[in-house]
Amino acid sequence: MAWKVVDRNEAIVEAEGPALLSDAVREKIRSFFDRYETKRAALLPALHIVQDTLGHIPHQGMMEIAGLLEIHPSDVIDTVSFYTHFWTHPKGKKIITVCRSVSCEVMGGEAVLNEFKKQLGIGEHETTPDGKYSLVTEECLANCDHAPCVLINEKRHEGVKPENVAAILADPNNDRVTMERSTLFDAPGDSKARDSAQ
Amino acid sequence: MPKITIDNREIECRKGISVLQAALEAGWNIPHYCAHPGLRVVASCRLCLMEMRMPDPKTQEPTWSPKLVPACQTPVRDGQVVRFDSDRVRQNVKRCMEFFLLDHPLDCPVCDQAGECHLQDYSYRFGEAESRMVDEKLEKPKKDIGPRTLLYSDRCVLCTRCIRFTQEISGTHELCLVNRGTRNEIDVFPGKPLDNPLQGNVVDICPVGSLIDKDFLFKRRVWELESASSICPGCARGCFIRVDHCDGTVYRLKPRYNPKVNDWWICDEGRFGWKYVHDDKRITAPVLHRGHEKTTPKWEELPEILRYRFEEQMRKNGPDKVVAMLSPFMACEEAWLLIKFIREVAPQAALAMGPVSEDGENQHFPVGASGDAVRFTILKEKCPNRRGIELLIGAAGGKTLSFEEFVEKSAAGDFSAGWVVGGYPAEWVDKAAGKIAPKFELLVVQDIFPNALTDAATIILPSCAWVEREGSFVNSTGLIQPFERAISPPEGVKRDGQYLYEIAGLDGLYRAGRVRELMNATIEEFAAVFEAPPMPAHAH
Repeated sequence: MAWKVVDRNEAIVEAEGPALLSDAVREKIRSFFDRYETKRAALLPALHIVQDTLGHIPHQGMMEIAGLLEIHPSDVIDTVSFYTHFWTHPKGKKIITVCRSVSCEVMGGEAVLNEFKKQLGIGEHETTPDGKYSLVTEECLANCDHAPCVLINEKRHEGVKPENVAAILADPNNDRVTMERSTLFDAPGDSKARDSAQ
Repeated sequence: MPKITIDNREIECRKGISVLQAALEAGWNIPHYCAHPGLRVVASCRLCLMEMRMPDPKTQEPTWSPKLVPACQTPVRDGQVVRFDSDRVRQNVKRCMEFFLLDHPLDCPVCDQAGECHLQDYSYRFGEAESRMVDEKLEKPKKDIGPRTLLYSDRCVLCTRCIRFTQEISGTHELCLVNRGTRNEIDVFPGKPLDNPLQGNVVDICPVGSLIDKDFLFKRRVWELESASSICPGCARGCFIRVDHCDGTVYRLKPRYNPKVNDWWICDEGRFGWKYVHDDKRITAPVLHRGHEKTTPKWEELPEILRYRFEEQMRKNGPDKVVAMLSPFMACEEAWLLIKFIREVAPQAALAMGPVSEDGENQHFPVGASGDAVRFTILKEKCPNRRGIELLIGAAGGKTLSFEEFVEKSAAGDFSAGWVVGGYPAEWVDKAAGKIAPKFELLVVQDIFPNALTDAATIILPSCAWVEREGSFVNSTGLIQPFERAISPPEGVKRDGQYLYEIAGLDGLYRAGRVRELMNATIEEFAAVFEAPPMPAHAH
């Protein structure tokens, strides 16, 4: 067995140069400080803000967040790596989520996943070179009655078979939700705000 | 003192501790990984779960709790009834051990921890001989997480002791837990390695072979090592340590529990500061200069030669021309023997204090803490026994000098005969001190390494490192703490204590305890030495 050791003394530098986070982003993060007793508590909002702006949270970004919140960068990576929502490397325009939970697995989910891997030429949690697709797995998409289930951005593809994969990928609208968005799932305040905006 | 009943036996225990701690102190061998008395309770390993009697919410009848509760998180209460000796508790430990070993690589033959590994111990007691795991094992990587430490993620049981240590004791926060669920791993932020003055402790508190000290990696199997109780000479703090040695070689230093000084920890400076012991530049034989002739006297002849030479100086140059410089690296017993000899041959001899090495500032941990929040301190005074030597010089009375005064007066030619003790791990003779040698007609230098003074000395006596001697140091707070000898000195070298014992005119073998009895007759402080209470046998 080869003696392989991951070297953690070397920093991961995604981009040399000036600070990643703009002053506006920093100001937005700082605006959350008043809401909590400690600056550390603003970590989750800060991560959301950075991911919304940059699309992902690079190591450089984590260090800058740590600097703003006056915590160690290890505390930031601890939280970032816990939530699958946060990405540490660039994600594609469309995210293909394949369910790997029991029902989908039993109905052939693994074959579907392998077919996606084959056709896209990428592995799990990776992005195609053209930046179009990222492939991930999720524990359950809450759609067991239509297993195996695949989610592309917000659109569900139900009862997917390996032979359907090519057609799904060829469809330019494979992530477009055709259904009317329900207001039921939005908080009352939000829907009011939206109504008044309309 | 609350009384609690464990497995039908009533015991009395300290107030405010956990049931786990009470059980360990009363001699029970309760398996545990995450619980450590010096760290926050997280109750995550689930090994110490127990059954507890509680009042039934409906009938108020005391009944056994429907669920198992963690002993480490349950404080003791008077009249509490718990049990570990039950099928449910045993089944729990067995199942937990099965999960801990799911992805374990079973590489004990090449693991440094083998022999002092609690995964081995608990598997032997509670585990199964065969794994029922049919899936492939998750292979987690080995990581180089710092200049002195390796992390084998695949052996880790995720007790998070190391993380809590960096958060609560060192306050440096380098370690974290990345990913989730089965993919959980201990890690550092890339480019921010584990590199703080206390980082070696994470290796000590790791109950398994996950965190490994690079310095000790693949050096020895731990069952070959013998241990001696000792005191760290790195600074004036005097942390309790254990010297692990084998075949006359020191392999590593580990902390020993001492609630008054260092709790369970030591700093890296002390932990790795012993390397000079095995340096080949050490002085390994006594040397006697007769005119231009250089001879190696026999150890048996030395007491007589020394006594004769000093008496000769007394006759020639008068009674107040003798000086002895004592080193803060000497044990109290050795210093007392030397003072006894010098004051016997020359009652008016002056006693000087050697240089007290200092480096930087006192460091307090967690980083940035002050007052009661301080959990560990590294002192700037880098010698173990300044207070002890001061106490002895003070008790001896007569003429006493500071190091500066000693150098000044010696350079002015005030002394014709002198005995200078070094024993410092690093170069200690500065320019001014190096020039005093020609002013002496008789200069005895007792040191570990050659330097400007030994080069010019009439008689050179080899000194031993602290692991080769026995005695006691007085720490910065005035505790008299004894240390044992661990290894034999290099060939040809006699222990300082032994030859000073003979030179001081005493017969037989030097034993620190016996010398302390003699010292106690005049210096009452030495009536008792400080010994820390032992850790419970099954605690770790």
